[in-house]
Amino acid sequence: MGKLSSNTIEKIEKSFVYIAIFTFIGLTLFPLIWVFTTSLKPNDETMSFPPKLIPEHVTLENYAFVFTDSTIVKSLYNSLIVSFGSMILNVTICALAGYALARFEFKAKRILFSLILGLFMIPVVINIIPLYSILANLGLLNSLVSLILTFQILIIPLNVILLKNYFETIPKELEESALIDGCSRIGVLRRITIPLSMPGFAVASIFSFIFSWNEFVLPIVLANSPNSTLFQVALYQFISLYRIEWGYLAAGITIALLPVIILIVAFQRQMIKGFTMGSIRG
Amino acid sequence: MHSIARYEPYLYLLPAISILCVFLLFPFAWNIYISTHGVSITTILKEWEFVWLDNFIQVLNDPNFHTSIKISIIFVGGSVAFQFLIGLVIASLLNQNIKGKQILIALIMIPWITSGLIAAFSFKFIFDNSFGIINYMLEYLGFSSIAWLSDPKIVVWSIIIANVWYGTPFTILFLTAGLLSINPSIYESAKVDGASKIKSFFYLTLPMIRSFIIIDIILITIWSINFFEIPLIMTGGNPLFASTPASLYMYRQAFEFGLLSKGSASGIILLSINIVVAFIYIIALKRRG
Repeated sequence: MGKLSSNTIEKIEKSFVYIAIFTFIGLTLFPLIWVFTTSLKPNDETMSFPPKLIPEHVTLENYAFVFTDSTIVKSLYNSLIVSFGSMILNVTICALAGYALARFEFKAKRILFSLILGLFMIPVVINIIPLYSILANLGLLNSLVSLILTFQILIIPLNVILLKNYFETIPKELEESALIDGCSRIGVLRRITIPLSMPGFAVASIFSFIFSWNEFVLPIVLANSPNSTLFQVALYQFISLYRIEWGYLAAGITIALLPVIILIVAFQRQMIKGFTMGSIRG
Repeated sequence: MHSIARYEPYLYLLPAISILCVFLLFPFAWNIYISTHGVSITTILKEWEFVWLDNFIQVLNDPNFHTSIKISIIFVGGSVAFQFLIGLVIASLLNQNIKGKQILIALIMIPWITSGLIAAFSFKFIFDNSFGIINYMLEYLGFSSIAWLSDPKIVVWSIIIANVWYGTPFTILFLTAGLLSINPSIYESAKVDGASKIKSFFYLTLPMIRSFIIIDIILITIWSINFFEIPLIMTGGNPLFASTPASLYMYRQAFEFGLLSKGSASGIILLSINIVVAFIYIIALKRRG
């Protein structure tokens, strides 16, 4: 009898835990779900009162508008170039740095590693005014290449740590025995190290893509001419240029959200591990 | 051959270090130069006049800056308190023996991987005075609606709510990692000793994840001090400076009013605040550890 009642208590406790977690998730996702359903409403329904969560008539006209507005399409294109460019550059330089820190013993190792970590303590927002001034004086504002380069400061430290840790999990002996078997250093990298590091590269790539895709402060300061606007900035200028058209904006937000949601659904396990390991965000 | 091998690691580190120096370290020093000169958007390509500490004096005497510091204290205090408390509760619940934990964590993570812009717009939308869902619900329940984005006393809380929504998943994740690091056999022995769940939470769990808690609070404090996307997009810092934290004050001086040097000076003041806060926390971490 006593055993049964303690079991019941445990069951009640557990259902409270589930209810609390699901309530929290519901509250968390509510604003995004609201924006998503708004993106499917025709314009006269968007600002109707009382507001309805489920659209009466589902329409894709807001998406059609977003994909035909030349400024927004251009900005989407720019964002893809900058995010992929920044990702490729970032993974390359962080892999080199991480490999050096994981595989070599050298005099300045500790100092250089602390330098990479220490520089990350400088808040990026403090740098927006000098970066603006430097790039303005060099005539390099409104350039996608400048954006790709400046975005690196957001992600280098996180991905250097991540890839360094990853390389350390690959046994050094594998590389050494291949070297003894007459494989060249580059051959070892190509046939052993790089293939084994692919999961690490994947997580690092996802991080740099998401950071670049989401970044707003650097591009709004450094690149706001019509030709170099990124997607997030274009959505922001949307509200200052016109009266807010919430239907269009909701469609834009949904598009901005899409790649990130896809990535986290596909790679949740690896990303959570990486996030916890680095636990850093610009 | 031998001498090349000696320089090999330096060669690999060169790209990362040089980009950090050019785009992080050098601008950082350049900020000091700008803050001691009189530079605005219109004079940026002309000769810069050296003005000693004029910009700092201007900032420190600016009543709007005093407001922004007050707003910062409320914004940072509110954001950190709520992010931490909600994060601790949810992380403890997730630490119970429940099914589908991985998927639940992935769902909880979603706000954190969206951008600040998405967070700000979503809340601007649901907080809207005339057609926002929140005011509709308040009226439906018989309360009067609230001017979330235009009442100078309320607006800071609206940006705190959006920031808590955006930032809490990080604390949940970080404290979950902390809770996972505890050896479960400790709870077994506490159970044998007859300690209640609540007692063992306060006397066992919390002390064991102490360092996770302190590092989490350091990180979310520093992020909240420097973060201004949400107020910039939700309210532009308005009405007047009622939702302008010190970080947004810096941005507005430089890019709304064009006063780059005044912005730089407030940026350096902001940096000193960062350093002081980090220092206080580090002392706290060392003293009790």
